[in-house]
Amino acid sequence: MVSRRKKILSFAVTAAALLLLFLFAVNTGSLKVTPLELFKGLFIEYIENVATVFDLRFPRIFIAMLGGAATAVSGVLLQAVMKNPLADPGIIGISSGASLAAVLITAFFPALYFFTPFFAFLGGMVAFLLVYSLSWKGGLSPLRIILVGVAVNAMFTGIMSAFNSGTGSNYSGVASIVNANITMKTWDDFSTLLWYVVVGLAASFFVAGSCNLLALEDKTARSLGVNVTRSRIVISVIAVLLAGISTAVIGPISFLGLIVPHIARLLVGSNHKVLIPYTIILGAFTLLLADTVGRTIAAPYEISASIIMSVVGGPFFILLLRRSRQSYGQ
Amino acid sequence: MANDIFAVKDLSFAYGKQQVLNSLSLTLHEGTITTLIGANGCGKSTLFNLMTKNLKPDTGEIYLQDRNIEQLRLKDYAKQVAIVHQYNTAPVDLTVEKLVSYGRTPYHTMGLSPDAKEDEEKVRWAMEITHTAKHKDKPVSELSGGQKQRVWIAMALAQDTKILFLDEPTTYLDIRYQLQILKLIRRLNREYGITIVMVLHDINQSLYYSDEIIAMKDGKIISHGLPEQVITSDLVQSVYDVDLTIKSVDGKPFILPV
Repeated sequence: MVSRRKKILSFAVTAAALLLLFLFAVNTGSLKVTPLELFKGLFIEYIENVATVFDLRFPRIFIAMLGGAATAVSGVLLQAVMKNPLADPGIIGISSGASLAAVLITAFFPALYFFTPFFAFLGGMVAFLLVYSLSWKGGLSPLRIILVGVAVNAMFTGIMSAFNSGTGSNYSGVASIVNANITMKTWDDFSTLLWYVVVGLAASFFVAGSCNLLALEDKTARSLGVNVTRSRIVISVIAVLLAGISTAVIGPISFLGLIVPHIARLLVGSNHKVLIPYTIILGAFTLLLADTVGRTIAAPYEISASIIMSVVGGPFFILLLRRSRQSYGQ
Repeated sequence: MANDIFAVKDLSFAYGKQQVLNSLSLTLHEGTITTLIGANGCGKSTLFNLMTKNLKPDTGEIYLQDRNIEQLRLKDYAKQVAIVHQYNTAPVDLTVEKLVSYGRTPYHTMGLSPDAKEDEEKVRWAMEITHTAKHKDKPVSELSGGQKQRVWIAMALAQDTKILFLDEPTTYLDIRYQLQILKLIRRLNREYGITIVMVLHDINQSLYYSDEIIAMKDGKIISHGLPEQVITSDLVQSVYDVDLTIKSVDGKPFILPV
């Protein structure tokens, strides 16, 4: 049981931490701007340093936050649909299906570049359907989903790497998706991401109640008049949309959709009406943190956020796997 | 004769090639407690799932009053029939009150309640009658088996239906809780006029708490009527393939299940 006070406190602390991290991230790098300068430069007068930071660092920061929120919420939704705390868009191959589609579009149909997020969504959907149907055997066993997901993920990632290597990493757009590199992102990338993510996150609020009901046994949910199959489809589509879109712009990020919802459940409980909004904030915070750490830890070189997430997420995943029985449902 | 509230006509169902129900017909009477009995694998669970819209009949129809339930939307069905399934799970931090309030789901549109006050009243009533109100802020996961089962019944009652189905409501419970649940079920029937349909394994409990018993064997109904008419040595022999003595205690029949 999580008390009301703890929930409010978690929201407040995380939001404050996100704001501080944001200011820190803005100030990390060769150019320094004080918060006062930043405020002045953004809202009052032209300051060259601030303008540079605004064009180069801001898009990246906002993209990290949006992508983090989208990926984390996607994790929450997948976990609700599959009744499995280990479902993560990265681990079960949705992100790699999406990136493969994005890679193919970027390489072969550059004219369709604008529609990359849409194709990424389709790629993610293919991966999701593969995992779902292959692990269905009169029910979804949590472990089978993970095993099939790992295989699907490995296959898509393999094809993608093969493609990247086979073309001598010459397509920079391809390489940046494969490596989940968000260094060179612009405001255009941000606005592409923004609309899809806003739509996806808004939709996720609408299905929060259904997610709660899916946590009951399917038969019980049905006895309450819930069309379980339809709920599952709707929620899955939203989850794949969120993961696919963010993958199209920032590349596949593993473990984020696993770690963030897990911590969020410990802090604010399993009611999706609270869990989803909180996951948005914590997801934004976590990916921005990974990106900022990646930028500072070996400066002037950069380690991509997805690598940081994998290094931290791997051990965490093992920990969860060992105690997964207690963490969801029963 | 009481009104027919539920009618099953020529119902057949097969899992793949395995025929489970074969042209089965029955009627249930309004305001009664009807118990389904039969050996494992006789098809009573399948019948239960067909009547509760968890399965679709291969042939035949099921009528709720005059409506074919196949044509009823799940939501409309859930406003008339509540079901307590045998096996239930809930998130560890879900409170009793919150769970019981899920019973109001069929009345909501797009997750919004048209009448929050009525919801609140029904939920309170459901928790009071099942004696779960005192635990309303506790997580369901921390309750004992008997308390949990009462909470699931409370959720079904919050649906405010005239019919309540229960699938083996006393399984997994010790004798004290079994009796609590059965007495609660009888009270729901006698005081609130709720029509009860349940699956039970205990023949004596079926005898004692039912108005009518339906005995099934090999996907067919072999007897349907008043408990003391249905439960005979011959029937027990035929249904369960055991030879048991039937005794009379205070004018009521009881079997000795040893």
